[in-house]
Amino acid sequence: MIYKKKSPLFIFLLPGLLLMIVFLYIPFIENIMNSFYDMTSVVKIPGKEWNFIGFDNYTKLLSDPKLKIAIANSLKMMVLAVIFQVGIAFILAVMVSMIKKGQQIFRTVYFFPIVISATAIGLLFKLFYNYNGGMLNQLMLALDKEPINWLAPELAFIMVSIPTIWSYVGFYFVIILTGISAIPEELYESASIDGCSRLKQVWYITIPMVRGVMCTCITLAVTGALKVFDLPWVIVPKGAPQGLTHFLGTYMYEQTFLISNIDYGSTLALIIVILGVVVSKVVSRIVKPDDNL
Amino acid sequence: MKKVKRLLSLILTFVLVMSLLAACGKDAKQTDTDTPQNKVEDSKDDGGDKSGEETTPDQADTPNPVTLTTVSMHGGTDPNAENYQAISEQFMKDYPYITIEDDSQSADQDWKTKVAADFAVGNEPDVIQYFTDANASDVLAADKFVSIEEIKAEYPDYAKDTLLAALIAAQNPDGVQRAVPTTGYWEGLFCNKDLFDQYGLDLPTDWDKLLTAIDTFKANDIIPIAVSLNNVPHYWIEFLMLSAAGPESYTSVPETAPEDWCKGLEMFKTLRDLGAFPVDTDTIDNDFAGELFKNKQAAMQLDGSWYAGGIPDQENTVLCSFPVIPGGKAQPGFMVGGISSGFYITKKAWEDPDKRDAAVKFVMAHTNSEAVTKYWGGNGQAAAKVEPIESMTSLGISGLEYSSAATSISSPTDSRISQEAYNTLVAGIVDVSTGARTAEDLLNEVLQINAR
Amino acid sequence: MSMRSKQKKKFSFINLILYIILGLWGITTVFPFVWVINNSFKPSREVINSSFSLPIEFTFENYANAFDNLNILVAYKNSFIISGSVTIAVMIIASMMAFAMTRYKFRGKEFINSLIIASLMFPVFSTIIPVFRMMSQANLLNKPLSVILPQVAGNLSFATVVLMGFLRGLPLEMEEAAYMEGAGVRQVFTRIIIPLSKPALSTVAIFCFLWSYNDLFTQLIMIRRRIKYPVCALLNEISSKYGTDYGLMASSITIIIIPVLIVYIFLQKNIIKGLTAGALKG
Repeated sequence: MIYKKKSPLFIFLLPGLLLMIVFLYIPFIENIMNSFYDMTSVVKIPGKEWNFIGFDNYTKLLSDPKLKIAIANSLKMMVLAVIFQVGIAFILAVMVSMIKKGQQIFRTVYFFPIVISATAIGLLFKLFYNYNGGMLNQLMLALDKEPINWLAPELAFIMVSIPTIWSYVGFYFVIILTGISAIPEELYESASIDGCSRLKQVWYITIPMVRGVMCTCITLAVTGALKVFDLPWVIVPKGAPQGLTHFLGTYMYEQTFLISNIDYGSTLALIIVILGVVVSKVVSRIVKPDDNL
Repeated sequence: MKKVKRLLSLILTFVLVMSLLAACGKDAKQTDTDTPQNKVEDSKDDGGDKSGEETTPDQADTPNPVTLTTVSMHGGTDPNAENYQAISEQFMKDYPYITIEDDSQSADQDWKTKVAADFAVGNEPDVIQYFTDANASDVLAADKFVSIEEIKAEYPDYAKDTLLAALIAAQNPDGVQRAVPTTGYWEGLFCNKDLFDQYGLDLPTDWDKLLTAIDTFKANDIIPIAVSLNNVPHYWIEFLMLSAAGPESYTSVPETAPEDWCKGLEMFKTLRDLGAFPVDTDTIDNDFAGELFKNKQAAMQLDGSWYAGGIPDQENTVLCSFPVIPGGKAQPGFMVGGISSGFYITKKAWEDPDKRDAAVKFVMAHTNSEAVTKYWGGNGQAAAKVEPIESMTSLGISGLEYSSAATSISSPTDSRISQEAYNTLVAGIVDVSTGARTAEDLLNEVLQINAR
Repeated sequence: MSMRSKQKKKFSFINLILYIILGLWGITTVFPFVWVINNSFKPSREVINSSFSLPIEFTFENYANAFDNLNILVAYKNSFIISGSVTIAVMIIASMMAFAMTRYKFRGKEFINSLIIASLMFPVFSTIIPVFRMMSQANLLNKPLSVILPQVAGNLSFATVVLMGFLRGLPLEMEEAAYMEGAGVRQVFTRIIIPLSKPALSTVAIFCFLWSYNDLFTQLIMIRRRIKYPVCALLNEISSKYGTDYGLMASSITIIIIPVLIVYIFLQKNIIKGLTAGALKG
């Protein structure tokens, strides 16, 4: 807070805010207004009016069993994302920062799953899980065991969560590693001269120094979990089996583009944003990113 | 203040860079696509000047260069994409002054949404090959197509090869003929005859034989019916409902669920409980289910005429008419099929004097007997008179026999009800098959959405 | 003496474990890449039926098909125009916003922060249609700008949030010293903040580029002219209502990811340990 003069502030904020308002907020407000109409097509066709249906879509929310599953799954995914995605990414980033040779290689290969589009990763996992001749069931056969329906209702959520979490570990890994590389080398040098073990160095130097970055990662993981869409959609489209693997993102997509219930889709989009804002507020209460300022 | 100025200049520079980028994009666009159109305008001006002076007969015959924007459903890996391109290329050779800019894509739900959005904002192409039934309702609502009648008034040869019955089959839900169709399709039950022979089974021409086959295959670790209830249950929805209700009731659009329709859909649960479907029918993709059938891991699959071409074993695969379910009202030999797409000319093209002629020529090139023969290729039905194909495989012949022996042909459910309603029906099938939801409940919701 | 050698031995043992764990994770991430390339030489049915074995017979047909579908070089160019502009614009605008949000205290800060966080959540499916209509009214459809603007807006909040995280962690001493010595805010921003946050900017740039590049949905809604297609539109050509060509999918994905990997390797050189340490010393 060293800069007393406030005038440059506007120039710093204006272009960004302007873009966000024009391309995100105005469309989104339109989206909210649309949720009160029975939309017959994505764009109003000249001469065709939409019927005003008031809060119908909102009352439908309350009694929609699939929405309950979707919300529950999204919340579960948030917890899993924070624990496993950010957790594994942090451990890997610390480990990579400790080694001398080959850092570059690990940085590159951990990034692969993010680069390869979800279409391919999804197909890969589908072929792992496939009941007839999938890789896992071939293994089971080789071990002389009965084949398993890996995407049966009681297993499906776990089986979908694994690739979803795994594929984005690299994302947080890169961010956290960038944070770790901003830590001055001298701190570690003086610590190791003082006889501090590596584990202690991580605890007393790395963790406090990357706190801001970790908070960012947690926020991104929580909001990202709400938007989870493409991998589950490819592996188990339409929340298969029996709608049990629906996430808010996939459910909204199904309603908007597959069922063409565009107005209900708009309502779901609003729910996603509200839920996201609430959860990220709670998270920032807990982790307090601004503390070190 | 100085700082502010500097910052401002920074931002201005940025804006400048951005607009430059934009301008670059624009330039590129103009050189790429607008040029032909500009040329059209230029030459039009020239023509005007000359006609003002004196026109020589030769010049009057030379048509102005035209660029037609076209869209078809023969994109991606569609089997007819090649034929479509070949015909378009030949067309450009025949008429060197016409340039075709084609943006074909294979038809899926996303694409339909995009096309509808294009029509709503005035970004429609000049010629489009698109659905003719309720699937096109969004686009038809924009009222941007020219009717065949209007075109024929000026070009009497338009759609001259097309069979009258085909034109009627391809008319829009409001009864107006706008689209010129090329081919139609049928749907039927594909059976791996070698598997039936191996276990001494009869083809499932009636329900008891179907049940026996299911039991026997099940006992021998062969999947009786390859289907993905989550992905593409469409054919089963159609045949079960048609089988239970008969063509007349099936093709009606009631307000509440008819008992027969419910009975048909409840059959999903019966079949599922018998173990007729793959274990992973809730999650498997349609492509994967198709592989089960092609690899002889599954005995039967209900699919469309287009499916025949991709089956490797053309010798031992046969088509069989769908059995009537117990108490079903349909006559044996009923079939789902029809013509559901055709070439439209948009008003935008029609009202442009240069494009009008080019668009009509383009559609005629794609819908004459020769083109239809190519598109047909022995699969489904042809919309014009075609020469029979000599080298037909035994599966091809079986398909032809099956479709010509049909006692009734009904168009599928989605040609009658709104997309939102139909999609709700498809999405609810898994729940009906597990018993989580009754067919009546689902159908009532569907019909209620449709009635809105 | 014995102490030191003992410690060294222990360290190399720890190192070995580190390498094993890192290597194992590395295998899981390399596998899909190898798998995609392997399958790009197989016909579609072989991909479904035996995707984990080597091709029975190498075929380049999938690549030939992919090249038939799009003019790949033009498509690369289109993609780079779009994604390059998005990346540069996001980096500039987001670093400005992040600087303002972490170095100033002002009324409404909490509100703007909420705006940024909330826009992280906006599903693109819910904003795209109004934006599409806007673009068509502005006559921008089929032009790169129609993709660039919404993508910049969409990636902005992510970039700002990440940069804010980094800027919070940067020590304030240097800025304070410079400011006291009479440097303007603009100089502090361009001479100190930007160089210091180079690693973070590179990270943000990588992801913005990647998301913009892979964002088939926005690109294909705004751009309908085949000659204007970005390269990821290849994925739009792999299926029809009659099924998907999985071999073609694998070859298309290989073609799509190669430039991204090049960009990534190029940018990640900037994320070098000790950059800030050097700056602090000076």
